[in-house]
Amino acid sequence: MPRNHVLLVVDDEDDIREVAGLSLDLTEGWTILTANGGAAGMELAASSHPDAILLDVMMPDWDGPRTLRALQGRDATESIPVIFLTAKVQESDRQRFMQMGVRGIIAKPFDPLTLGQQIKNLLSWN
Amino acid sequence: MTLTSMRSIRRKLTVIIMLTSTIAVLLTCLGFVISDVVSLRKDLAGDLSTLAEIVGVNVVEELTFGDRQGAVGDMSALKAKPSIVAAGVYTERGELFAQYEPNASISVPRVLPADGFYNNGELLELVHAIRLGHRRIGTLYIASDARERNLRLMQYGEIGAGIVLGSLLLAFVLSSILQRDISQPIVELAHVTRLVSHHKNYTVRASPRRLSGGDEIDDLMIGFNGMLTEIEQRDKRLLVAKDVAERAAEVNAQLARESALILNSSSDGIIGVDLNSEPTFINQSAEQMLGRTLAELRGASIHELIHHTRADGTPWPGSDCPLGAAVLRGELFRVPSDIFWRADGSSFPVEYSVTPMFDDEGRRHGAVFTFRDVTERQAVDRLKGEFVSTVSHELRTPLTSIRGALGLLSSGLLGPIAEKGQRMLEIAVSNTDRLVRLINDILDLERIGSGKTELSRGHVDARAAMVQAFEGVLSMADEAGVQLAIEPASAELLGDTDRIVQTLTNLLGNAIKFSPPHTTVTVSGAVHGTDFVFCVSDQGRGIPEEKLGAIFERFSQVDASDSRDKGGSGLGLAICQSIVEAHGGRIWAEPNHPAGSRFQFTIPLALAAIGEASTKGKESQHAA
Repeated sequence: MPRNHVLLVVDDEDDIREVAGLSLDLTEGWTILTANGGAAGMELAASSHPDAILLDVMMPDWDGPRTLRALQGRDATESIPVIFLTAKVQESDRQRFMQMGVRGIIAKPFDPLTLGQQIKNLLSWN
Repeated sequence: MTLTSMRSIRRKLTVIIMLTSTIAVLLTCLGFVISDVVSLRKDLAGDLSTLAEIVGVNVVEELTFGDRQGAVGDMSALKAKPSIVAAGVYTERGELFAQYEPNASISVPRVLPADGFYNNGELLELVHAIRLGHRRIGTLYIASDARERNLRLMQYGEIGAGIVLGSLLLAFVLSSILQRDISQPIVELAHVTRLVSHHKNYTVRASPRRLSGGDEIDDLMIGFNGMLTEIEQRDKRLLVAKDVAERAAEVNAQLARESALILNSSSDGIIGVDLNSEPTFINQSAEQMLGRTLAELRGASIHELIHHTRADGTPWPGSDCPLGAAVLRGELFRVPSDIFWRADGSSFPVEYSVTPMFDDEGRRHGAVFTFRDVTERQAVDRLKGEFVSTVSHELRTPLTSIRGALGLLSSGLLGPIAEKGQRMLEIAVSNTDRLVRLINDILDLERIGSGKTELSRGHVDARAAMVQAFEGVLSMADEAGVQLAIEPASAELLGDTDRIVQTLTNLLGNAIKFSPPHTTVTVSGAVHGTDFVFCVSDQGRGIPEEKLGAIFERFSQVDASDSRDKGGSGLGLAICQSIVEAHGGRIWAEPNHPAGSRFQFTIPLALAAIGEASTKGKESQHAA
């Protein structure tokens, strides 16, 4: 039985939060927290200390990179690994994001059955 | 008035004839008068001498004996000669001895001159020696009246003058009639000459009296007419030639106007340059785009004028610019994206081409630059790119939810589903995946095609790229039961490794998809000139000849059912073409005999590799 990880999903799309949360719950049995924006995600991360954050890149107001910088700028959250979830598939974007200090990038749309495995691979949770 | 100052040849001829005849008549008359005067004088002198001889003989006796009366008597015999007006006998000592003076007004002289004749006005005087034997015993003086002679002289003069006047009159009449024969043709010739010289009328002709055997004037007229005929013909030819030249000039001017109109109506900038790349022509569009006139562009190379700085603002030395060399070599040169500089220091994005110009002998004498301001097109491209990018993202977001939901449903994790429902869910999942691939390909194609995604150009190991693509499709080939073969070749290329591998993978994937089991798909490569040619061949059903060209177009499928059966987006080959063309290469398909297709594309060799290849080429030539 894998350890019961706590994962925070930050996305402005309700449906995506729901599908991703259900996928990870069903396939991995993780506890899923969700936030519908960067600022809310930031607060939730600071208060509940998830094991990792799945962060959407393109969001209104606080987008992914801004939220990432905010997380990195606070002692309470700077050590939490962040994975970008993005509809952008450009190689140049990929390199730019990696340089920001994310642990990995998962492209939208994702396969719900392998999403958990992709996250574990990126975070070396095996 | 001198002869030469006379204007009319008629008067000249008349004057000449009259002058000549006058002189001739005068000379003739003078000759007659002189000869007559001389003979008259001789006759008179002879008469006087004879008379003096007779008288002298008669008075010898009276003189010897001093008989004065006898002497006077002897002399009175002179009365028979009324012309004798005085006579005297003188002694040996010169004293007057006797005298005869019938006319009281004339007397003999007291003192005598020497012997001889004396012409003294109206008198002819003779002093004559009187001799007895050989001894001189006295002197005789005798004077004759010369008036008769003078009268005759005067008569001669009058006659002479009459003859001269008569001759002159005759000469005038005759010359007036005869000179026409000479002057009339000359006057006519002069008239014709005036017509020719003043009115440029070359059709007039002089009329000679005889066409052959005439005099020199006729010859002159015939010659003059011949010259006129010659001039007339030349004039006609000249007129024709002038007409032709004028029409040719008109046609040329018309052509030049049309050319200028065509060049100036072009919205593209057009600049003509010589072999030094210095502008020799510029059309209106180019003037407007560059903010310069031809006069301002002359004297410097096109590179120095409008191409001196790179897009990043760094100076671009002419020696580094390939344009001048291309103009000199007479190469066609196309640049899809560059910038030109205006006179005011601003720049604008262009695409341009350089076309060599050759003269009739095939010698290069310059080139034509044709360029287009692509500012607007770039803006449109940017908008399009942003639109495609946004749409892709916006499409992908709902697709993420759909794909996730369908995936969870079909996995059975949410509970068992009836068999038909399960099948429907699988169809929904696979078509969602296909929709995602399509969106990804559209985005990819748009980015490569617009040049938005800069190729990360570097040195590419051709062999490694082939092996990487080969390994990437091994499992796919396994599943399809298709054999995979690789015939790698080594070369160093200039390009983007990932994109080249993407192209090879795409071609290999297509080949495997369209190959029946137990056939072979082969990837190979070879250096060809300055390029490396990749080749992917299969033994499948092949591509109909008429579809070979269109196969690279977007959403093109050989068979309409392929997109459904084979799961392609229809953009794979279009993406391949975009990638290859972004590298400056080309891609094409051809039948692979005896069965199947062969897809090939070129990627330029790295510069060092080109040198090596050309050296090798030379060596092999030597070996041959």
